[in-house]
Amino acid sequence: MIEVAGLKKKFKLTKDHKKNKTDNIDPREDKEFFHSVRDVSFQCNKGEVLGLLGPNGAGKTTTLRMISTALKPDEGSITISGHDIVKKPLVGRKSIGFLSGSTGLYGRLTVKENVEYFARLHGMSKKAVAARCDELFTLLDMHNFIDKRAENLSTGMKQKANIARAVVHHPDVVILDEPTTGLDIMTTQTVINFIRGLKEQGTPVIFSTHHLDEVALLCDRVAVINQGISCFDGTLDEFKQTGQSEELNQAFMNILTESRNV
Amino acid sequence: MFEVFKKELRELLRDRKTLIFVVALPVAVFPLLFAIMAFISSQAALEAEQEVHTYAIINGNYAQEFTDKVFYHKSFALYKGDETFNTVEELTKAVKAGTIDMGIYLPSDAKQTLDDAKQSEWQVVYNDAKAINFLFDRVKELAKEYGDKLRTTKLLSFGVSEQQQAAIIEPIKVVKVDTADKRENLGEKIGGFIPYLLIPLVLMGATYPAIDLGAGEKERGTLETLLLTPITRTQLVLGKFVTLLASSIATTTITVLSMGVWISVAIAFVDLAVVKNAFSSLTVLDLGLIFVLLLPIAAIFSSLALAISIYARTFKEAQNYMAPLSMGVIFPIMVALMPNVELTSKTAFIPVTNVALAIKEIIKGTVDYTLVGLIFLATVIVAGALLAFCVKWFNKEDVLFR
Repeated sequence: MIEVAGLKKKFKLTKDHKKNKTDNIDPREDKEFFHSVRDVSFQCNKGEVLGLLGPNGAGKTTTLRMISTALKPDEGSITISGHDIVKKPLVGRKSIGFLSGSTGLYGRLTVKENVEYFARLHGMSKKAVAARCDELFTLLDMHNFIDKRAENLSTGMKQKANIARAVVHHPDVVILDEPTTGLDIMTTQTVINFIRGLKEQGTPVIFSTHHLDEVALLCDRVAVINQGISCFDGTLDEFKQTGQSEELNQAFMNILTESRNV
Repeated sequence: MFEVFKKELRELLRDRKTLIFVVALPVAVFPLLFAIMAFISSQAALEAEQEVHTYAIINGNYAQEFTDKVFYHKSFALYKGDETFNTVEELTKAVKAGTIDMGIYLPSDAKQTLDDAKQSEWQVVYNDAKAINFLFDRVKELAKEYGDKLRTTKLLSFGVSEQQQAAIIEPIKVVKVDTADKRENLGEKIGGFIPYLLIPLVLMGATYPAIDLGAGEKERGTLETLLLTPITRTQLVLGKFVTLLASSIATTTITVLSMGVWISVAIAFVDLAVVKNAFSSLTVLDLGLIFVLLLPIAAIFSSLALAISIYARTFKEAQNYMAPLSMGVIFPIMVALMPNVELTSKTAFIPVTNVALAIKEIIKGTVDYTLVGLIFLATVIVAGALLAFCVKWFNKEDVLFR
């Protein structure tokens, strides 16, 4: 289980940003800082898929980066299976698998070398790496291109390699930041199947997306962020109820409108 | 750390562009340099030996002996065309038109002036912008020979013996007793040039792979995933740093070995006197010492290049930052080339300049080993500080996620 409570993160404004300030002031900006995440809380239990929604610039990526320990929150806590990963980021990194739409691979390494490299960085033994790689390559149907250099792969092959890399160390939680952005239908389906597989294994998954059809298809829970503040955290059914219809678009728009009024 | 190093090295060895800069260039630079030197020196000598320049002389009959000297000189051929020349202006016009290469104008009263023991002014017309400025020197030399002879004859007629003449013309003769041997002398002249070649190559060995190891990670989108692995930032930096250091050391090794091999070849098979005199006393130990001195320099460059590269958002931005770094490295080497800048206990603490000065001293054969130890210590301290800065840089979110 992963629990996020009262997360806050601000970034110092650059000189260029200050110079180019317009009258249309973002409420998250003050003289010196941009408060990207102001108060975000949600939780995701074992075997659940949580969809993290929000308009562009809402603070989703910053939130996911804090959960993945790439960024340190200014305030708030993140616990995975009872471990405070803000205080112990190295423990967190062992339990997290991360994948985003823009994640790349090392072009001059083969697919196998790419996946093995990350497994070794996670401290896995040579034997364990070999067994796990074989398991993942079979699961994702990758055996025909594992010896190809990553720079020569198609987008679909690359995303499969990325999935293998993200989960090679048996993470307790998987975080996906817009994993289907820019992908074709076939590759998107691979990602969806992968999330389903994780869910069946009981691995909590947090994924941010703009595709509400994917939310309907996969999510048990939904969290919505607007202008750096959590404005919804509940089950998919509760989310649907806010829109008073099966259409998730309506629910999403209602939540955003309500949060702006507040 | 070892895993990072292993992976980076594997990637590096598969990058053709980096291999060219790290391996091929240092291998090629010395044979290329010596070949150019040999070609230029032999070509220049050959040209100077073989080329014959057309000349015209006005009033040559007033100094017949001089005129004959010019006529029989192997580099000069008297103009035998139809044009006639009577004034300096006509000579100038002919030189500009390319009819002749040089014109010599003797005033019509030249003989009388000389007989009266007065100074006579002769004019040499030629194009100084062309690479034939030795024309003037040759004519001047011939005129001097002629003038010396005239003076001696004149003074003898006044009853001044040749011995007295020497004492009058040059009352004090200062004789140079040079303690510097040929190696030291030439080492001073070309010893400064060697670090000019070596140090930028060491830098190149670090900067090219560094761009890929830092900014390349950001541009490919692999940095974030790497930061999410359970290795510390220090381990990550060390892994990358050691890769760059290995690359830089490889360049250094290849460069020094290549220098050694090609110097031996130049000495054994090509008659390159400059190289022979300057390097014939250079021992394997000297080359080893140059190599050892370049190691901490390689560490400094590796840390700097890695810090710059990780700050850059893209490959292009990193390349833009590396250009001033190269300039920044050239400047302290130029300081070492300046006259009167010597290796002292003070200059031994100026990074890069100290190593450049030490290399010069090694080539001259006058190196002070205590100062070499001091340089090594100073450079290691700077390299360590820069590495610590690099680790700090890798921990800063605003650097990693700019």
